[in-house]
Amino acid sequence: MTHEEFESIAALDAIGAATAEEARMLNEHLASCESCRRARDEFAEAATMLARDLDPVAPPPEVREHVIETIADEDAEEDNVIESRRRFIHPWWLATAATLFLALWGWREVGIRVARENVRTQLAQIEELKAANSLLHDQKEKLSVEMSALASPDTRAIALAGQQISPSASARVFLEPGKRRAIVFFQSLPSNPKDKSYQLWIIRADQPKPMSAGVFDVDNAGGASIVIENLPLATEMKGLAVTLEPRGGVEQPTNTNFYLMGNS
Amino acid sequence: METTHEALLPSVARGDTTAFESLYDRYSSTLYALLLRILSNPEDAQEVLQETFVKAWTNAKMFDSARGSEVAWLISIARSRGIDRLRSRKIRGDRENDAGREISIHSAFVESTTGADKAVQSQESSAVRSALSELPEAQRLALELAYFEGLSQSEIAAKLGEPLGTIKTRMQLGMKKLRERLQAFK
Repeated sequence: MTHEEFESIAALDAIGAATAEEARMLNEHLASCESCRRARDEFAEAATMLARDLDPVAPPPEVREHVIETIADEDAEEDNVIESRRRFIHPWWLATAATLFLALWGWREVGIRVARENVRTQLAQIEELKAANSLLHDQKEKLSVEMSALASPDTRAIALAGQQISPSASARVFLEPGKRRAIVFFQSLPSNPKDKSYQLWIIRADQPKPMSAGVFDVDNAGGASIVIENLPLATEMKGLAVTLEPRGGVEQPTNTNFYLMGNS
Repeated sequence: METTHEALLPSVARGDTTAFESLYDRYSSTLYALLLRILSNPEDAQEVLQETFVKAWTNAKMFDSARGSEVAWLISIARSRGIDRLRSRKIRGDRENDAGREISIHSAFVESTTGADKAVQSQESSAVRSALSELPEAQRLALELAYFEGLSQSEIAAKLGEPLGTIKTRMQLGMKKLRERLQAFK
């Protein structure tokens, strides 16, 4: 907003016609603008011309008397208050009041620190809850996909069998050809080291090299599940295999130690 | 305009009751006329006039002559209190009881006003009238509805059957003209 626009608001404010929002913005601006403050004062002075244009009317004399009496009473009252304050402010009282003030101040400081600590703890809890909520949301999405795949009438199941290196491992692949999607459930695979990930490969009929279908880690029981999107057409898929690869996966398998294999 | 008067508020701020009485004598008729215009009721106007002067007595230290004149400071207090009273009365719903009540006491200057004050007031009054007479009627009406009746922009627009933007512009133009005229007086 320009100074000119603020001056226009000041013009309205001088006759009490600025809206609450305009008055708020103006006051914020006036705190740092000398020229607009001057304009505001000049508009305020100008507005009083409306009152000064009226024919003066003498108020009844008793109003004057009453006003003079009232200010005399106020003066007497103020004198009494000053006198009673003078009596009250004895050094002993002063020391007690100072001690009490310091004690209260210290108490307040402790209270503020505790409150700040509580706020920090609560913010950390909120962040944890947000992370947990996000995780649950992802799990829900995954479950929903899995349920949909399992319930679909055209879903086809393929079994992957454990190989020499992991004979007890197994996996079931649920293929949804219509959606070119598959859900794979792995069981009893050996725990993968921290610097390694399992990688699932699609062995294609139309290409000599296998294609990565995703990387995964297994839980303590050797279980895991992954969703594969954009699968090749069923006719292009020859089989599936799992190898252990550097963490994050690689373009092509670095070894032929298959943990699981199966034909599609 | 104000420079022709000796300022009284600095003495009032120091607790000078004689200066306060002079202050009352100099400005009470201007403030009373304003309060009658706002409240249309002598009893209310007298009560608010008393409140205004008591506040002037207790807050005289806050008056800053660099920001405006003594009379403008007093008028601002009176107008603000008058509008507050008007609004609280509107809330109570008894405004209709006062509607149409004729103010029969439009009179000349207060008896206690000195001859010198009268001359100054008369001089000021004609200058102010000249400034206001230069305002187009529509601008003046919009300003008066805001200033004396405490109406908001939208209330004025509704009352006059004009678009809100038109009313806002009228009030801004009117105020700018008054400000220019005020600067010309100085």
